[in-house]
Amino acid sequence: MHQISTQPNATAADRRSLAATLGVDTAGDEAVTWDRLAGTVEPVADSTFASRGEAIRADLAGKLDVELLERERRALWTELERLADVRAAGVPDEPGELYDEVAAPGWRLYDHFLEIGFFESLDENLPRFTADHIEATARELILAAPLSSALDDVGFEEPEKLALLSTVANNTERLARWVPSNQIPDGVEFDTTNVPPLHQRAMGGALLWIDGLDRHLWQNEVLVTDDILDDAARHVKAMLGGLFVSTTAIHDLATDETFTDEQLTAALTAGTAVQIVSQEELLHDVFYITDDMRAPSELR
Amino acid sequence: MALRNDRAVQAARDIELVEIEDGYTLVGGPEDSVTEQHDTDRIPEVDVDQEMLSNTGEDPESWLMYGGNYEQHRVTPADVITPDNVSDLELEYELSVGTGSSMEGTPVVIPGDPPVMYQTNGPNHMKAIDPREGEVLWSYTYAPPVGVELCCDDNNRGAAVYGDKVYMTTLDSGVVALDRYTGEEVWYTSTANHEEGYSATWAPVIHDGTLYTGSAGGEYGVLGFVAALDAESGDILWQTDTLPEDEWIGASREHGCGTTWMTPTIDEERGVLYTAVANPGPDFDGTVRPGPNFPTCGTIAMDMESGEHLWGFQSSPHDVWDYDAVAPRVLLRDVETDDGTMNMVVGSDKTGWVYMMDAESGRLHERSEEICQHINMWEMIPHISEDERIPFVPGAPGGNDWQPPSYNPATGYVYVIHQNYPQDLVWRYEEYDQGNPYWGGDLDDPASEFPDEWNGSITAFAAVDPATGERVWRDWIESEDDHYMWGGSMSTVTGLVFNGTQNGTFVAYDGESGERRWEHEFDVPISASPMSWYDPGEEKQYVAVQVGGSGWLRQGPRGSTLAVFSIDA
Repeated sequence: MHQISTQPNATAADRRSLAATLGVDTAGDEAVTWDRLAGTVEPVADSTFASRGEAIRADLAGKLDVELLERERRALWTELERLADVRAAGVPDEPGELYDEVAAPGWRLYDHFLEIGFFESLDENLPRFTADHIEATARELILAAPLSSALDDVGFEEPEKLALLSTVANNTERLARWVPSNQIPDGVEFDTTNVPPLHQRAMGGALLWIDGLDRHLWQNEVLVTDDILDDAARHVKAMLGGLFVSTTAIHDLATDETFTDEQLTAALTAGTAVQIVSQEELLHDVFYITDDMRAPSELR
Repeated sequence: MALRNDRAVQAARDIELVEIEDGYTLVGGPEDSVTEQHDTDRIPEVDVDQEMLSNTGEDPESWLMYGGNYEQHRVTPADVITPDNVSDLELEYELSVGTGSSMEGTPVVIPGDPPVMYQTNGPNHMKAIDPREGEVLWSYTYAPPVGVELCCDDNNRGAAVYGDKVYMTTLDSGVVALDRYTGEEVWYTSTANHEEGYSATWAPVIHDGTLYTGSAGGEYGVLGFVAALDAESGDILWQTDTLPEDEWIGASREHGCGTTWMTPTIDEERGVLYTAVANPGPDFDGTVRPGPNFPTCGTIAMDMESGEHLWGFQSSPHDVWDYDAVAPRVLLRDVETDDGTMNMVVGSDKTGWVYMMDAESGRLHERSEEICQHINMWEMIPHISEDERIPFVPGAPGGNDWQPPSYNPATGYVYVIHQNYPQDLVWRYEEYDQGNPYWGGDLDDPASEFPDEWNGSITAFAAVDPATGERVWRDWIESEDDHYMWGGSMSTVTGLVFNGTQNGTFVAYDGESGERRWEHEFDVPISASPMSWYDPGEEKQYVAVQVGGSGWLRQGPRGSTLAVFSIDA
């Protein structure tokens, strides 16, 4: 079956930058691969990684609906596998048809997370995106075999997994601005009565963008090109991939508890980071259609 | 009675517009609204009925609503003034309105002997005028409460008429109804709490006894809405938020803005209204409101009876540049296209393009060629820091800000005014604080550095073929003082298009070629949109325009003039 690729343009420079962030020597001709990085990087030295995971685990104990998590994780998997067909369908025949369905399992997970205070718990227990936190997250991700194999299962090829990791590790400055930006006064925290928790904004935003694709592509068909449709599908895959990583970790928390606390922290951080970066990329590549990007007018 | 003895004029003069951080407020003024009657007996007591409103676009003797007709074509069917004789158009008189404040309005004229003009300007001042003589029959000033916060000036852009009343929105987010024969207040209805930052500046529109109005306050974290009021009693019939709950994440919707701060367009045949929807809130920090922020910076269609949403179209989803969609939508019927005829809604937006949408579905028929330049457009996500500013065109005033386009049936073109000036901005974290600005960033106007590609012209006035999106012609306009061109245009069925520039030049263009056929110079900018009517009693066609600087950025010198031109039939 034809697969959607999340990152057709991943460059050697991206990979070298990723390796440098993780402290892996890239001298010589050897390619930077997932396996090479996994065999080389050192585990996280940050002791707070474990305690953060432990706190989240404690917060959510007894609140998670295992059956729902199991069902919707599988549904997410199905939607990821179905993306190639969605892309092949092109511009939706009507709004609210193609991509709405892709986002549906995500919304059911979102509602459950909302109900159990999941997002508030993450805001409480995870730090803002800092360079150190992101680097530690990337290290844990690449060492976490269960997360790697979960991505394998849902159709992420090795270069795509590496691209997702790059998305997390190479965008620290950009991610840092998502938790209020460089001008936050010391000691000021989000006022969650007016601004939803960061992880809720990341996941909810990603799902709104996926939902919005039907209307956007259908209404703007005269502007839409194949490149725009390709970009839409690959960014959706990346966002769902991020959500799948988070959901896999939460599902594990509710069931087998095979993930370490460090891996739980890493999975939830990375899942959100991928959803943030990918929705910003989607915005540029699909929603902001300049004259240079648009399909030539057939009317003039 | 001379205007210096007019208590309503004096009351308006006493209301001082004071600049405060990121906006304005009003200081002084009367405790109660003031009506001054001069010669009310001269006003023919002929009520305006629905038939007159529905037919005003075909009636050369009237201009009964802000947009000239429900479709907002801003075209006069009076055919005395033509491209061949417009050079004979002469100034009939200049009437000083006496208030020295914002002048962005379009008067309405009710036919009769004499006709009666209702003219408004800032701050919430209205006059009934005998437009033959240029004499004031009554005047009125609303008393805005202390502490009203305004982003952009003390504007009022016009009146609505129905029955024996004339209506005006008020700066504290209300609507006031006056007895149009006497100028006395009949009712007042508040549509939202001005202390939260709501205000109102546009002309309302009335259909079948229902008055339609919108919402402003998009720089104050309000929640935008459209409201329908009973024109007789002022009772609110429905009030619908512009932001559907399922399109927003959590509490981000509560201060998500999406205001509707220009006059709605009405499709009488389908019972649908169309309105532009402004920016999301906060203006510049998009990280606290993820997703497309539907339907901000776009167009919505609503059922006129129930207020139900029908469709929405966004020209700048998840906007962080203040690219409101603002200018009134233009409804065109039976446009000939390659696929047959269609009804379309035309939206000319701050993004610097004109959008032709299918009126029934909101689907894009075509987007025009660019009207202004596009330099570094949409390039600033992810957020930049203080040190990484990028000058961009169009800046926050567009493209097309609120300036209404016009449609000319003689050419089949839509005429639009787009600004073309570099700005830049930087984000900052900002907590919502009721009644205070909620920008989430700082805008630099002008940009600290100008991009090399910028052509040096601050405004473009252009003709667009709605069937194809072709930009048929474009007149680049420069301004020595870098003033924006702040008023809209008016078409004539004879193929002319009038507008006024920031340089004080009132121009009649040949709508087909873009050639300037007539000009008249004022010594201050024109920030208003002209209108026209034919008076059979005088056998003259008149053209009226308000003159004076206005607006939220470098408005230019104030003026206080209603200028009326005429030509004999």
